Amino acid sequence: MTVRVLGISGSPRRGGNTERLLDAFLKGARDAGGDVEKVVLKKLKFRSCMGCNKCHNIGVCVVKDDLTPVLERISETDVLALSSPIYSMGITSELKALIDRGQYLWARKFVLNNLEFSAEHIKLHKGIFISTAGQDTNDVFLGAYPVLTAFFNDFGIDYYENITARGMDRWGGIDGHPDALSEAENKGSEIVRLMEELKGKAAKE
Amino acid sequence: MEISILAIAGSPRRHGNSEDLLDFVLDSLSGYPDVRVEKLALSMLDVNPCRGCNTCEKEGICVIKDDMKMLEEKIAEADAIIVSSPIYCMGLCAQVKALVDRMQVFRSRRYVLKMPIVPPEKRGKKAGLFISTAGQDWDWVFDGAVPSVKCFFHLAGIRDKDMYYLMINNVDKKGEIKAHPDAGEQARKAGEELIEKMRRLRED
Repeated sequence: MTVRVLGISGSPRRGGNTERLLDAFLKGARDAGGDVEKVVLKKLKFRSCMGCNKCHNIGVCVVKDDLTPVLERISETDVLALSSPIYSMGITSELKALIDRGQYLWARKFVLNNLEFSAEHIKLHKGIFISTAGQDTNDVFLGAYPVLTAFFNDFGIDYYENITARGMDRWGGIDGHPDALSEAENKGSEIVRLMEELKGKAAKE
Repeated sequence: MEISILAIAGSPRRHGNSEDLLDFVLDSLSGYPDVRVEKLALSMLDVNPCRGCNTCEKEGICVIKDDMKMLEEKIAEADAIIVSSPIYCMGLCAQVKALVDRMQVFRSRRYVLKMPIVPPEKRGKKAGLFISTAGQDWDWVFDGAVPSVKCFFHLAGIRDKDMYYLMINNVDKKGEIKAHPDAGEQARKAGEELIEKMRRLRED
């Protein structure tokens, strides 16, 4: 059973530490037989949520741009890996823009009450946050987690794990880190194997 | 001596709850003859996200040509800075996050190039107030936003102990803050506290 894996790079910089970490994860996923797709936000043209709240009435976003198909693909994938470096103790404005655009699903769930994800659906959809930070303090990712939680909840995705590496300034980049890249690759393979198993079980039931 | 205040309404929506709450504070400040306020709406300006190019670490300037250039000067010069943002998905709205990230040029000046980021006479004399509203009624709804706000204020030359917060949850619909039992009173107090702080900082 094919496991679809969608990796989204939210860094404005190409080939930087975070994108490299995402790539390692996606390589692991591909090696384990996953159907892997990668989206680089930097290449797309889009705007953030304008707070117009039209989705609270119609359940869809009135903004149509390059994010529109990406949001649809997010709804279809088995594994979603969202990645962003930490800028000023949070995710980048680009990834935050994507996340804020998920408001239409929140509206469907809690305003229009026409969308509900079953426990089974949530179990079969896994979300992963991939991030690096220049700083080495143990609170450097804490501002990001609540935001990722909100987004995964909107989409009925189980927030499965964080793949993070801090202290990039100290390590001289991701290549200097003792095991971040190999660990991300392992986790990419592991999640595909886990999802194969879960999907297989679900299909039998 | 006059106290100059830069107020930035960060919401993409004009005159929603977070901007209303900002306006409550600004209204209360209009009673002080020595306070001069300049208010800007971020949604009317062009402030693009940081590209992470790190050129500012070498040049001390940002290569992006947009309204941040003008804001950089105002942020450096203001005695006090007030920023408002709604909470979207448990964090600052993306537009305000873009503004925060563009402060990287101040970080480069200060920590890499060892340049001053505020005029010498204003060092340690600046204060900040963060204003926010959130639809959710959870106490922790502002936790994701505050660390980034602190970064912003730090890089504007404001110390932790000179930062203030006026954050009200459980206001969801447009205009709801106007019906809030004590938002107006909280705003008046926050304004008063900020001005008192400014006066104390000047006496130090």
